[in-house]
Amino acid sequence: MLKVRFHGRGGQGAKIASRVLGTAAFLEGYYAQDFPLYGAERRGAPIAAFTRISKEPILERGVISEPDVIVVMDETLLDDPLANPLSGLGKEGLVFINTTHKAEDIKKRYRIDANVLTLDITKISLDILGKPILSALAGGAASKIVRLKETSLKEAVTRELSDITHEKGLIEKNIEASIYCFNALPSVLIKSNASHKKSDVITMPFEAADISSPSVTIPANTPLKKTGNWRIFKPVWDYELCTKCMTCVMRCPDGCIRVNEEGFPYSDYENCKGCMICAEECPAKAIRKEREVHAW
Amino acid sequence: MIKSIKDLTFEEQMLPGTPACAGCGGLLALRHCLKALGEKTVIVNAAGCFTLLCVYPFTPFKSSWLYTAMACAPAGAQGVRDALNILIKKGRLDEKEDLKVVVLTGDGAAYDMGLSSTSGAIYRNLDFYYICYDNEAYGNTGFQSSGATPFGSKTGTTLPAELNPLGSELSKKDLFEIWRSHKPPYLATISPSHPVDIANKFKKCEGIKGPKLFIAHSPCPPGWATEPRLSAKFAKLAVETGIWPLKEALYGEVKHTLIPKKFKPVEEYLSEQGRFAHLFKPIRQEEAIKNIQERVNRYWK
Repeated sequence: MLKVRFHGRGGQGAKIASRVLGTAAFLEGYYAQDFPLYGAERRGAPIAAFTRISKEPILERGVISEPDVIVVMDETLLDDPLANPLSGLGKEGLVFINTTHKAEDIKKRYRIDANVLTLDITKISLDILGKPILSALAGGAASKIVRLKETSLKEAVTRELSDITHEKGLIEKNIEASIYCFNALPSVLIKSNASHKKSDVITMPFEAADISSPSVTIPANTPLKKTGNWRIFKPVWDYELCTKCMTCVMRCPDGCIRVNEEGFPYSDYENCKGCMICAEECPAKAIRKEREVHAW
Repeated sequence: MIKSIKDLTFEEQMLPGTPACAGCGGLLALRHCLKALGEKTVIVNAAGCFTLLCVYPFTPFKSSWLYTAMACAPAGAQGVRDALNILIKKGRLDEKEDLKVVVLTGDGAAYDMGLSSTSGAIYRNLDFYYICYDNEAYGNTGFQSSGATPFGSKTGTTLPAELNPLGSELSKKDLFEIWRSHKPPYLATISPSHPVDIANKFKKCEGIKGPKLFIAHSPCPPGWATEPRLSAKFAKLAVETGIWPLKEALYGEVKHTLIPKKFKPVEEYLSEQGRFAHLFKPIRQEEAIKNIQERVNRYWK
């Protein structure tokens, strides 16, 4: 059995990517299982999705804690201790990372012993689809890595996307992008680490309600969460054009835009989610959007 | 009276880093409401998207926050208000330290599940604020239809299909009038695209004892299938087309705080939203679009 785990951000398409891979495998006669896992949070929050592929019926259920292949659809997740995308990865395993950086640099930077493949699929999706929706692309990358056929990938993308949209052109573009990723990557022989470990039962000790129930006594601490890594584009101000009209400040849903000593607005990039309402609303067109690449 | 956005306070009562989606129109409305309310508040939050603003161990609020089930935020507010009154009466809390009790709910709670407890709270003349962020469906669980869903909208439970080409065939409840029939001292509709209007409305009802109720029209990028950057634009278009009238009622007397000089056609608002796309593609449903325009015309007559 081959176990693949996808890590992405809500809205990026990790769930559909896991389905594309599962369907492609199913079309080639394998047993396949796919499902997502997300918390209560919204778009932009880390999510995971899982695909199991096997020649035998799959009796295993639940999240994959020791995957053979990990697909990281957003490099910033590697720094996120809550998402912890590399957990359970063995030396024999393989990680695919969507990044502008090279594989060897990534291995060094994040101290990864396993095999690493990289490709900037965000750029490919922006070029072909015009939107940073990565479902078909990540599904294509994963299909190549686990050595499925191009024809089954094509059919899988068509099937999965037909459930979501009726726009033929959009589905075709997704196939194009998906095949592009498929062909841009080498296929790899993966040794599956098929052993199934039983997980220990954790017992929780009884605690009085005043200890065990959540109570936050620190006011306004969400800035510590640093939602800035949700961004795909960032707003950049041109102070030559800015008229200090304060529209951007009053239009930011999160209140990330502050005013400096000279009265010019600036963004708290640590938390700006990159919704780009500011750039859209700026009457002087003084805010431009820049593709966010993960800088080290 | 505040005239321009430059006169709005720079003091923030809610900090960034929330789990709300990028471009959340409700969050923008809430940010301006809290700016207007100031620091001394306690928020009573019914289950909904904004429950997630405070996920242990984080909170974006400088003020206190209490979580209730979906139907009973106004009942929770009654308890908080009573407790504050008792503390003041017993001399354990200085009257200057009193807090404004603010109920925060989505449209699912306000229009549907929590309507009876709200009715009770207004009936008892509870001294509280009520802010409803209305994104016109149950956004937190996958955008299922609610009592606030407008005619013609696609939702998770009203998918347009051959037998039901319209999406939602039901009309949005008029919560403003439902609330007004209870005769609260103050109620208003607001929009995140009009922050000056929000500030002035909160100023107007300051000091009034009793229920002060607000419905905020809240563009929702995932539910409305719109781009996050366009949230403010759609909020503005709703006002400019007359779909979302900005109004208030002080002791029952309704006054529109903004009447567009020239109404834009509703099509401008509808055609760019994914939730109304089926009215235009693949076949243009002229009848339905006309119907929506006529509803607006009839309202403003």
